[in-house]
Amino acid sequence: MNSNLFIVIAASAVFYGTPLLFAAMGEVLTERSGVLNLGVEGMMLLGAVAASYISNTASGPGWLVLVLCLLGAMGAAACGALIHAFAVITLRVNQTVSGLALTILAGGAGLSSYLANIWELKDPATHQFGKLDVFGLKDLPILGPVIFHQTMLTYLSWVLVVASTWYLFRTRAGLGLRAVGESPQTADSMGINVVRTRYTHTLVGGMFAGIAGAAYSLTIVPTWVDGMTSGAGWIAIALVIFGFWRPDLTMVGAYLFGALQGLAPTLQARGVDIPSAVLKSLPYLVTVVVLVIMSSGSAKRRLGAPAALGIPYEREER
Amino acid sequence: MAGVTRDETAGILIPAVSMRGITKRFPGVVANDSVDFEVRAGEVHALLGENGAGKSTLSNILAGIYRPDEGQLFLNGKLVELNSPRSAIEHGIGMVHQHFRLVQTFSVAENVALGLPGRFSKREAEDRVAALGERFGLPVDPRALIWQLSVGEQQRVEILKSLEREARVLILDEPTAVLTPPEAEVLFETLRTMAAEGRSVIFISHKLDEVMAVSDRVTVLRDATDVGVVEVSETTPRELARLMVGRDVVFNAEDTLNRATVDWERVVLQTVDLRANDDRGNPALNGVSLELHAGEILGVCGVSGNGQRELAEAICASRGRTGGQVLVDGETTIGKDPREMIRRRVSHIPEDRLHTGLAASVSIEDNLVLKAYRAHPFSLGPLLRRRSIRSNAIQLVEQFGVKAPGTSTSTRLLSGGNVQKVLLAREFSSDPVAVVAASPTRGLDVGSIETVRHLLLEAARRGVGVLLITEDLEEALALSDRILVMYEGRVAGEVSRDEADLTELGLLMGGRSAVGSGAQQTGGSES
Amino acid sequence: MIRLEKRVDASKWLNFTVPVCSFLAALVAGAVLIASSGNDPFEAYSRIIDRSFTSEGAFAATLLAATPLLFTGLAAAAAFRMGVFNIGGEGQFFIGAITSSWVGLTYGESLGAGVIPLMMIAGVAGGAMWAAIPGALKAFFNTSEIITSLMLNYVAASLMTYLIFNTESTWRLTEGSGLMFPQGRLLDESTFWPFSHIGSVDVPFGFWVGTVVAVLVWILYRKTRFGFEVDVISDAAPAAAYAGMRTRKTLLGVMGLSGGLAGLGGASDIGDIRHLLDPKGLEPARYGYTGIVIAALARLNPLAVVPVSILMGALNNAGRALQGPDFPAGLVGTLQGLILFFALGGEVFARYRVRVKRSPRASAKASSGDVAVATGAGQTEAPVGSPSSGEVGT
Repeated sequence: MNSNLFIVIAASAVFYGTPLLFAAMGEVLTERSGVLNLGVEGMMLLGAVAASYISNTASGPGWLVLVLCLLGAMGAAACGALIHAFAVITLRVNQTVSGLALTILAGGAGLSSYLANIWELKDPATHQFGKLDVFGLKDLPILGPVIFHQTMLTYLSWVLVVASTWYLFRTRAGLGLRAVGESPQTADSMGINVVRTRYTHTLVGGMFAGIAGAAYSLTIVPTWVDGMTSGAGWIAIALVIFGFWRPDLTMVGAYLFGALQGLAPTLQARGVDIPSAVLKSLPYLVTVVVLVIMSSGSAKRRLGAPAALGIPYEREER
Repeated sequence: MAGVTRDETAGILIPAVSMRGITKRFPGVVANDSVDFEVRAGEVHALLGENGAGKSTLSNILAGIYRPDEGQLFLNGKLVELNSPRSAIEHGIGMVHQHFRLVQTFSVAENVALGLPGRFSKREAEDRVAALGERFGLPVDPRALIWQLSVGEQQRVEILKSLEREARVLILDEPTAVLTPPEAEVLFETLRTMAAEGRSVIFISHKLDEVMAVSDRVTVLRDATDVGVVEVSETTPRELARLMVGRDVVFNAEDTLNRATVDWERVVLQTVDLRANDDRGNPALNGVSLELHAGEILGVCGVSGNGQRELAEAICASRGRTGGQVLVDGETTIGKDPREMIRRRVSHIPEDRLHTGLAASVSIEDNLVLKAYRAHPFSLGPLLRRRSIRSNAIQLVEQFGVKAPGTSTSTRLLSGGNVQKVLLAREFSSDPVAVVAASPTRGLDVGSIETVRHLLLEAARRGVGVLLITEDLEEALALSDRILVMYEGRVAGEVSRDEADLTELGLLMGGRSAVGSGAQQTGGSES
Repeated sequence: MIRLEKRVDASKWLNFTVPVCSFLAALVAGAVLIASSGNDPFEAYSRIIDRSFTSEGAFAATLLAATPLLFTGLAAAAAFRMGVFNIGGEGQFFIGAITSSWVGLTYGESLGAGVIPLMMIAGVAGGAMWAAIPGALKAFFNTSEIITSLMLNYVAASLMTYLIFNTESTWRLTEGSGLMFPQGRLLDESTFWPFSHIGSVDVPFGFWVGTVVAVLVWILYRKTRFGFEVDVISDAAPAAAYAGMRTRKTLLGVMGLSGGLAGLGGASDIGDIRHLLDPKGLEPARYGYTGIVIAALARLNPLAVVPVSILMGALNNAGRALQGPDFPAGLVGTLQGLILFFALGGEVFARYRVRVKRSPRASAKASSGDVAVATGAGQTEAPVGSPSSGEVGT
């Protein structure tokens, strides 16, 4: 019975952790280029609203609509990322404030809510990512529910974790990307286009956040609610630090926080008598604790933090 | 133009590099004003000039980093346009910047491979770097991470980067600033070898001796324009100095002669086995004991990064001490708080003027009370007394000859020399018993250097003890009564002013006390 | 290709024109958005002006809506001036509302109007304590305050929800309709903050308090040793440490001040507006986040926060009054986001000259079209620049 609960929590950890993983992985790529984007929450909501809209309006076979949803979500979130990229890379606006501005602009009381209202998103999304039964193994003991009974997005995220880890550490483009984040002067003098690298990876980070948003509006909260991500974007940013700016380690963190997020609905469904407000606060409090641990003691050097993170690059400075 | 020569005997020479009428403006400054510059294949060509003469700007243009506002560039006689570092690399131009362009967390091989085309394989990159190092006699472990390497090794990596890209023109911006004299000699050897292979080496410096030692020809820049090209074999350091500064240079004989008399009985500042860590938490100062007397200038030399900065900061308690003691006028200090040392009238002129010694965006008048604002006459309870702050500023600006439009101007808008004057004005006006000055003349123009040195000597004459931390050996020799050399966080040796010579100091700086290969001047190889 | 060059002189007129132009530009962008969704932007804007300024009682409603924003705006400005990104104004506001309403509920009947100052103190204390958490974490563990302060917003919201929905606390109404729908208990009428009447306009007490506090904050930052330290620390922390300033203490002070201001806003929300703890009403109001927009548009000048908060109050007020199919929720938030972005963009124009370069080719040939801007014959020694008694150092 206890191990049973454990399995349920593990399965929900993967389920709730998936959007966190997408968003954090995107932010890893963005921050590796030296751009801090605190607008993840806003970009996720843009992705969520776009996916929800397309799901309700597009016609065609279900899988095609879902692909369109993802593309739309990526596009919408990338538009948000583009604003940030223009502000911080071209105009050299303070990255913290610009990211904050993006979240205010696009967030729960902003553009995403506005779009949801004019698109009249009231009903549950028509097409959703359902849980798959991979190889018919969903009833396999222990591993079944955790690994073989998840949505398509989870499997996509696994592919992307492998791909982005390989990209970062095994390819020439990844080498250039990391150089831009560590020392843009060096990258520039070696002929790497710093501005283009930063734009590209800010946009890619936005697209990942868009998928994360779609994961919310098409699986976790399939009916539109303003601000449905409720801080997940911010947790994702903390996860980047937790994962030492590596996609693979970020995955561990994402599932840890997924478990915390899944705790409230899971325990409530089982009639465990803990006030929901306490359970709901848990992920946020743990985020604070994790950040404190990461910033103190032996982890002080913030292993893996790109040295030029948050610093605008200007070549002709004297 | 005086000194321009053309070597007709070698036949028609098409210069490897020819820059014509290069002009580059920055907001508020013309950095290059119609500069002509020519370098032949197979020569080491020095670009000589004072700080701010436009050397770095010119070389950055050649490296494709800046784009000139006017002017043309010919490589081997062909007009080319370099609109990015990449195109400069493609044209065979490599540059070793003064502040190395290396990714600290990458390995040597990764740094060399950065930006090259094709697939990336770590193994392959490492093999290539090892082979390259062997070929050119520049040994370095390809797998080592940059931050683990010494500065000299890092410079080797920079040169390897250019060689890997088959650079025909190699620019080195003040390459010896970070090297000990013996290390510099090794570098010169490498440069001569590269020139002998037909490459052009552009050597940027403001040090006359080095220029004389390593280069074939010299182009001198002054006030953003070129003022002469001379063959090293046909010139003297004096002539080069005159070209560089624009007038005959007389080192302040008066100041040097009219020295303070040191009161050897009175120790104003003493450290006993002082220890401290660097920013990463590793030991950087490993037990330094020194005594500074009233009226004495005690020079502290060494290659940067051997604990000098930590020494200054540990004395002034802006860095935590991990062991040992600091005594002011014979009394021990606690050393937890810079305020204590301020109260004990130990002045500190930090290396990083504009961000540590001063707050750049804050006004001049506020910077002048940065340490004294807490008490009478500058504040009353929690409130600031703006009027006394201003009158204090007006008086000091006048007294120290700071050129500024007004006392409420942001300090960052001042020129380097005036920034340093603001800092000195505050530190010297607080009636100090001792002054800890870290590289107080670095990066300044000749006029400001003279002012700063004059102020230091003046302070010593009033009986203040001055701890002068500097990387400039000649400065140390000119000003100090005694010189300490630091190596790896310890005092490697002490010499008195009269018996000091450059060779011995250089060896001490490199951590050796035995006699090695002396610095010989080999004129420069024929091409 | 866009190229930025640092301005060597900071013109004073930019202090005023930049925010105004940013605001207008944001309205234009907003108009495009409104038009693209099939509505008439001119009508929308004229209705906003009508509902927030010109129609009967509109300005009073605007002032009431501006009052909490005045405090959160000051809170953000106070922190951002030192480069401390306290984005927990929202949560600190909630905690202020919780503590001050507790004081009001507990002592309201016995003390009458005398409880009003106590409510203020409680609000300040609550907000300051909540802000001290991220402040202390930053001071002692160097943990970035950005995410921690934000995370605590969600925790504060949960706490508020808990007090009303999950327990039978002091704050919860436990009789009458409270038995059916969980809701906050109304404070005694004697604790209601008084309105003063200027002409036909009712001005909430909190608005006066906020204005006085704005002046005090301005004095604090401009005229005191504390403000001096904040200026130096925000500009160059190493210089502050070198000069023996207590960076940690000042950081905690600024966080406490910022949180206290937000908490005072929470007290004003209870005393001026709601008179009960109302999580479902407070959360969507997003006062804390709007405060950030206000601070940016006011260029972190506490005095400018007052008029800017009225402007944002007007927008909020109109948004609430007009909400409907042709004035969807989210429009006001979107406009706020646009204003913030344009304000940030405006700062760029204040700090840099923007040059648009034509094709890279043109520059190498002795270019005449490319007008180079070299101010002054600037030799190296000549100091450049004019007195910059700039109000706000960013």
